[in-house]
Amino acid sequence: MNNEIPVSALGPQGEVMAHAVDACVHCGFCLPACPTYTILGDEMDSPRGRIVLMKEVLEGELPLADAAPHLDRCLGCQACVTACPSGVPYGELITSFRGWSEPQRERSAFDRAKRAAILKILPAPKVFSVAARVGQYAKPLAPLLPAALRAPMDLLPERVPAMQPSARVTPAKGKKRGRVAFLVGCAQQALTPNFNAATLRVLARNGIEVVIPEGQGCCGAAALHTGARDEALRLVRRNLDAFDPDEYDAILSNAAGCGAGLKEYPVVLHGLPDEERARAFSAKVQDISEYLNGLLQSGDLERPMPTSRHLTVAYHDACHLAHAQGVRAAPRQLLKAIPGVTVAEIPEGDLCCGSAGTYNLEQPELANQLGIRKAGHILSTTPDLIASGNIGCHTQIQSHVRRQGSRVPVMHTVEVLDLAYRGEL
Amino acid sequence: MTPEKVALSPGSPAPKPRSNGTPDNRLAAELTRALGPKKVLSARSERLNYRYDAIQFGETPLAVVLPETTADVVTAVRAARAAGVPIVGRGAASGLSGGAAPLRESLVISFTRMTRLEVFPERREARAQAGVVTLAVTEKARPHGLIYPPDPASFRTSTIGGNLGENAGGPMCFKYGVTGDYVKGLEFVDAEGEVHRLTRDAYDLAGLLIGSEGTLGLITEATLRLTLPPKHTRTLMASFPEVGEAAEAVSAAIAAGAVPSKLEFMDTACTNAVEDYLAVGLPREAGAVLLVDTDGDDLETVEEERALVEAACLNAGGTVRRAGSDAESAALWQARRSVSPALGRIRPQRMNEDIVVPRSVLPDVVREIRALGDASGLPLVQFGHIGDGNLHPNILFDPRREDVHAVHDLAHQIALVAIRHGGVLSGEHGIGTMKRPFMREAVDPVTLGALWSVKRALDPSEALNPGKILPDEDEAHAHP
Repeated sequence: MNNEIPVSALGPQGEVMAHAVDACVHCGFCLPACPTYTILGDEMDSPRGRIVLMKEVLEGELPLADAAPHLDRCLGCQACVTACPSGVPYGELITSFRGWSEPQRERSAFDRAKRAAILKILPAPKVFSVAARVGQYAKPLAPLLPAALRAPMDLLPERVPAMQPSARVTPAKGKKRGRVAFLVGCAQQALTPNFNAATLRVLARNGIEVVIPEGQGCCGAAALHTGARDEALRLVRRNLDAFDPDEYDAILSNAAGCGAGLKEYPVVLHGLPDEERARAFSAKVQDISEYLNGLLQSGDLERPMPTSRHLTVAYHDACHLAHAQGVRAAPRQLLKAIPGVTVAEIPEGDLCCGSAGTYNLEQPELANQLGIRKAGHILSTTPDLIASGNIGCHTQIQSHVRRQGSRVPVMHTVEVLDLAYRGEL
Repeated sequence: MTPEKVALSPGSPAPKPRSNGTPDNRLAAELTRALGPKKVLSARSERLNYRYDAIQFGETPLAVVLPETTADVVTAVRAARAAGVPIVGRGAASGLSGGAAPLRESLVISFTRMTRLEVFPERREARAQAGVVTLAVTEKARPHGLIYPPDPASFRTSTIGGNLGENAGGPMCFKYGVTGDYVKGLEFVDAEGEVHRLTRDAYDLAGLLIGSEGTLGLITEATLRLTLPPKHTRTLMASFPEVGEAAEAVSAAIAAGAVPSKLEFMDTACTNAVEDYLAVGLPREAGAVLLVDTDGDDLETVEEERALVEAACLNAGGTVRRAGSDAESAALWQARRSVSPALGRIRPQRMNEDIVVPRSVLPDVVREIRALGDASGLPLVQFGHIGDGNLHPNILFDPRREDVHAVHDLAHQIALVAIRHGGVLSGEHGIGTMKRPFMREAVDPVTLGALWSVKRALDPSEALNPGKILPDEDEAHAHP
């Protein structure tokens, strides 16, 4: 659709937005892919509708405050990007728009404080760990608390594990095949330290030396997708300084959200001085499943041991893996490489589980509806195990599956592989 | 309706024209009172999103009703009638002729929440409210061993009400027919707000409503015919150096007695646009590609039919590839379904034709249209259900780069090619606003007069989807 967005006044991110708006032919193929359209059934809460709303605001035809409720309901899952034959970069549009519009938002003091707290705590593993522990003990009080505070507590596991700092360098075992840098992630260090431990073990076992560069920090995705652009730029540049792409075969992440964030750096820095550096950096970024599947396909992956009995693994596509990064086959291939494992496809598999970064905290009601729906679909496959590649999905799915009375283990794909290597699956 | 432009800069305060919240006109206020706020959209930010379909933007409606029952539709129609406001029906707005885009300030009735669907396997019937998504009918019927054949490319999005309004087709229509062929009865609300239930005996008034694009009544529910799926399906893809050769192969295959269930055609621009999106290995260099399914319950016959088509393709100078698996066949059909929106990668806007011509003239027609496109210098692509003689020449354009008058001229010339060869203006997308200007050349004055008489009988005050299908009556009378 043609726009009259005053690109020159908006700068480089204006170009990104105007390009995305222009690419939309309003065909509606995105509608059935959108979780909020599926639930709410109205055009304003669909990708096509949101593009029109953003266009109108950018053109000065509609007050931001009128469009905001519908834009805030977008999970950023990018299922619409997968569904879009016209190639509209919707993810880039909504992220840029949120960055542009956030400074103009009128928010209540409580809302501002909540957002600031999320953005402070989430990227600081130690603070997060303390907060999670406090939350864990406060859990029995949850029914007495306002919804905004109850939502994060619902997602906490019953037991918050102790932090397990990772070694700066994990040497390869046996013949050394490669050297990679690893982004350790934020919240997952506190909630699920075994994700990283399993990742390091699996890589080392396959002859890969893993370096955790000093000075690295949060990928910046949470800040970026909630519109805190300046904060995001600071985090992005910090990581560009910490990781020298020339030193490594790959830069790995085992959290789909973080990996997608790292791959987004060139768009974030579009038209800014570090754009080229960002391009070189993101060209090296891979999800852990992509990297391991590369080894599998070239015959370099050590064969996992057969399972003790036949196992059905329901694999959940994290939106930031399947839609934002286009990684679908790799994790399935890895799971299927374990003798005795069958991978079950989840009905309505492309629909977001409702976690989506900070969405759970900002739109708890919609997040909850999606969580219930997702857990129901997953359990309909009667799995022995549920696997996914993202901490956000992990906590959301675990929490909803438990509420529906199931004790099925929920794991990271790489944890499943790790157990298979150790003969414990 | 365009207020002053507000120049924006990063961090500049948000412009604040108008405000949100309370209904800002009497109709919206009245509807909100009658139906409650959940079923009525009255804020401008909400209404803005109900002014377009997949082809064009129209006027922002005064109010939008999201009915849940037929009674809600009746209430809405009566309120609009009392206020003297026209009514536009809308499904998922994936239509390609401007049918669901209001031309004036209107009431839009959007059926997306009327989604009740029941399947009666013993009668091989489904009863679907207007907002049921097309694909959902087959999904619900399949466990009973039944399917609903009409399959427009947008079947994951489009609604049954919209399909009926446009009499939508799809790849399956060559062998199995279009939406109208599967309708056993329907319920509609007329311009007065009266509810009618029609079957197809006596006067086939249901047939009149089908394809009427919301200009004669608002379809609220339909009883649909379900069928048994064929036991076997085989797919082949053939590529040709030149578009006319593909058309020759089609004519030859059908003349030889093949009745493929699907027989689709894409030219080189289409295959490349789709390949950019899906990367399923379509032959980028080919001038034209045919996609063909043969199906039936007897595998031998299905294979024989595929062999007939294959031979015709080879004779016409084509190269043939058989789909080796169901997955490969599904990928090829997903490719075909994505053609229309994938063209957005070439230009942001398009003029979409929907002509049908006799199969015997197909080679001449596709070549003539190709030549017109080349001469115009505008990006023109062709694809369609060529087995039916149903072609979709699309002119792609960017109003900032291309002259819109030249686009309309070319569209007109293409329509004339179809008419000259004994064809018609619409196979499945409707006339809407896109092809309305060519109606007078396509339909003789006496017939046009009859259409107007029907319109006047059912909608005397012209409240239903004004400005669609029929050219202005006064002008029609000026050319007896």
